[in-house]
Amino acid sequence: MKKTITVILAFGLLAGCRREQAGPSEIYRACTEEDYKKNKVIGKRGGTLVLATFGQGPKSFNPVTSGETSTTDYTGHIFEGLTTMNAWTYAPEPLLAESWSHDESGKVWTVKLRKDVKWNDGVPFTADDVVFTYMDVIYNPKITTSTRDIITVDGKTWKVEKIDAHTVRFTLPTRFAIFEQVIGGTEVIPKHKYEAAVKAGTFDSAMGLDSKPEDIVGTGAFMFDNYETGVRVTLKRNPLYWQKDAAGNQYPYLDKITWLIVQNLDAMMLAFKQGETDMYRLRGQDFPILKPLQEQGKFKIYSLGPNFGSSFVVLNQHPGKSPESGKPFIEPYKRAWFEKTEFRQAVAHAIDKRSIIDTVLNGLGYPQDGPMTFRAGFFYNDKIRKYAYDPPRSKELLTKIGLVDRDGDGVVEDTAGHEVEFTLLTNAGNTIRERISEIVRKDLQRVGMKVNLLFIEFNSLVTKLDKTFDWECVLLGLTGGPEPGWGGHIWKSSGRMHMWYPLQPRPATKWEARLDEIFDLGLKELDRDKRKVLYDEWQMLVNEQQPYVYTVAAEDLVGVRDRLGNVFVAPLGGRLPLHNNHEIFIK
Amino acid sequence: MTSFIIRRLLIGLLLLWGASLMGFSIMKAAPGDYFDRLRMDPRVSQEFIEQLRQRYRLDDHVLIQYGAWLWRFVQLDFGESFEYMLPVNKVIGSRLVNTLVLNLLAIAFTWAIAIPIGIYAAVRQYSLGDKILSALAFVGMSLPSFFSALLLLYIFSAVLGWLPTGGLTSLDHDELSFGGKLADYAKHLVIPVSVLSLMALAGLQRITRGNMLEVLRQQYITTARAKGLSERRVIYKHALRNAVNPLITIFGYQFAAMFSGAALLEIIINYPGLGSLMLTAIRSQDQFLVMGGFMMGAIMLLVGNLLAEILLAVVDPRISYS
Repeated sequence: MKKTITVILAFGLLAGCRREQAGPSEIYRACTEEDYKKNKVIGKRGGTLVLATFGQGPKSFNPVTSGETSTTDYTGHIFEGLTTMNAWTYAPEPLLAESWSHDESGKVWTVKLRKDVKWNDGVPFTADDVVFTYMDVIYNPKITTSTRDIITVDGKTWKVEKIDAHTVRFTLPTRFAIFEQVIGGTEVIPKHKYEAAVKAGTFDSAMGLDSKPEDIVGTGAFMFDNYETGVRVTLKRNPLYWQKDAAGNQYPYLDKITWLIVQNLDAMMLAFKQGETDMYRLRGQDFPILKPLQEQGKFKIYSLGPNFGSSFVVLNQHPGKSPESGKPFIEPYKRAWFEKTEFRQAVAHAIDKRSIIDTVLNGLGYPQDGPMTFRAGFFYNDKIRKYAYDPPRSKELLTKIGLVDRDGDGVVEDTAGHEVEFTLLTNAGNTIRERISEIVRKDLQRVGMKVNLLFIEFNSLVTKLDKTFDWECVLLGLTGGPEPGWGGHIWKSSGRMHMWYPLQPRPATKWEARLDEIFDLGLKELDRDKRKVLYDEWQMLVNEQQPYVYTVAAEDLVGVRDRLGNVFVAPLGGRLPLHNNHEIFIK
Repeated sequence: MTSFIIRRLLIGLLLLWGASLMGFSIMKAAPGDYFDRLRMDPRVSQEFIEQLRQRYRLDDHVLIQYGAWLWRFVQLDFGESFEYMLPVNKVIGSRLVNTLVLNLLAIAFTWAIAIPIGIYAAVRQYSLGDKILSALAFVGMSLPSFFSALLLLYIFSAVLGWLPTGGLTSLDHDELSFGGKLADYAKHLVIPVSVLSLMALAGLQRITRGNMLEVLRQQYITTARAKGLSERRVIYKHALRNAVNPLITIFGYQFAAMFSGAALLEIIINYPGLGSLMLTAIRSQDQFLVMGGFMMGAIMLLVGNLLAEILLAVVDPRISYS
């Protein structure tokens, strides 16, 4: 498998080198919201936008039961939520809802719906559809959906009621800071179309891969056209879409959007390079190939900033014992090192992030010191401390906690004479993580820690992290986003993904107790500025304590062909710049 | 003959049962399950994962799970794919036609070329033509499918631009006339069919040649020639019919392979076949889909072998199964 990819890549390189006389070119920056408002133009109707998607294609077109990108890539254009997130500030903006407000308690929200919206089969959109989506579908225990967890707090559910045809009242058990985001992310589905399937208990398999265009009814700018199994997905323009441009023309401009299903990443790059597709998310290794071709290939490469997926090193601090063997999950003397803040800081100072960026990410990346990066915008705290590459400082920190090389073999020992040696695990097959692990191992060796590398199957790694807890050190990544409120599972000490010591009966340390408070308060605080203060403190604490020693974040690059108009690359506008899908046109 | 077929079918059932037990246990012996990947998603709660696992009874004892699967399998209910949330037969069915078309074409192509070439090489043993064909056969046998696919793609798509870079149909496929559609399919099938044929062709050609050579040395061939039969009649009527037996056995295996797809090739040329579907299913531990594909492969192997045995008896009167 690996061989295959290298060979294709070699071909790509060959083909790329043949015409190398292209002029100097640079990376374009993502544009600002002002640029967007100022430079947006009235477009021209017609044409097909061609994109590529990696993998085996969609698994379903059901936006409720399937939350994976292999489905949401398409359903995001067919269905709409009540609100939408601004692609620059991530502030909620009206979509199917015209306006919304909450009462003094902050628990009762009244949402006014637009009156001019029609489903793509011509039936008007009303409050009944919203109530149906929440009460009959999402809260239906027979339907598989992960949204149900998000809107259920301690077993208590929301009450969603119709006030009149275009007003809905949401009554929440507690105040909920990300209410506006949740009603934006929850796509509304039509009652008249799916009520029968819900009642018959067949909704899970509704909107499956054998759907016909009329089986999938949404309010979005596009509607389902055709899926050719494993080859391509096509959406067509929704002629009844409710938005119009400044000149009164009906949106959207594009006739069709087509996704080619591509099973290998190199072929995806080639398709973009050869002009078969209009947008492409670059990998680090694609950049040197595509950069010189920008002018001649009639496309531009934009940078969106650091990727939201992080890579970090985490050390096991679980004090428990295995119920089967009675042995501790991790040697108590090792846990004693890992529990010391200085030890974790020493690890942070020992890792040469710059060289990881240069060697693993082709120079396209950013050192990461905390859970958020500047791309997140509003909630990012830029005052956090930067852990520079500083082996002497790292050694100093180790000496401070009694870890010194006593016998001169290059490895530090604790006071009881145990050499600092542990195993770093990561999932086999992820070449980026494997290579970062290798660099981390060498860097830690330089400050006197002996690290053994072990690459294991992803499933085994997950089992260790959340069931058997028998690990010492793991290099892993998690996908984040601009909204910290979702992080409860990761940051609260009772959380399942609080990796260094999950599911704590009570917080083990003071700072972990404070994190619990911050995440509880943060989710109940409706004032955005007050939430910012809380989340700033969270980032400071985590930055100081380094429970996750962050490494690097890759630069997100996207190639966009020049023939497209009204494409505005925004930092929070999704993986491809399609946030204003109805305005994009072909010049 | 009938009693032989019945006996073989009964043994086949036993074999199938053994294969299913083995397949199921190997899959269960792999660490974790399909839903483990959800555990690393911060938005998914433990309860949701448990609910899914209960729905598919993943917490039951392995033997109970196997029993439940087997009970449904004999009623022709293959279960539901975790990933697609659709019945397994539907998921497999959606790719089956593509795989069949590709493999049938490849087999037809291989046989139509390999046998004449094999005969030619045997009749003119050690001639220049034979040597060139032998050399080509060895190259063909030693090229892995992914490499020959890449080579053809590079030459015919990237450099010459004559053929598409992959997939099954072009973007404008729906707008084409019926003939245009057929031509479009044909254009997309050239590379995959060539790659699959190239591999099989080499082996089949060598076997045909070897068998023919052996038969041609027999005394009855000399007799046939001695009594003045035309060379054509000697070769096609007397020699080929006796040389064909091992080829029929090979056909049995090819029949089985027809349904299993060629994962690597499919991945490289973006062909929506069964091979890549099954590979993904195995890697993500989509267990009922894997079992469905596995059992289909096992059944095809049995049917293919049975078919070959019956054909042998039909072709060669010396063989009888009574």
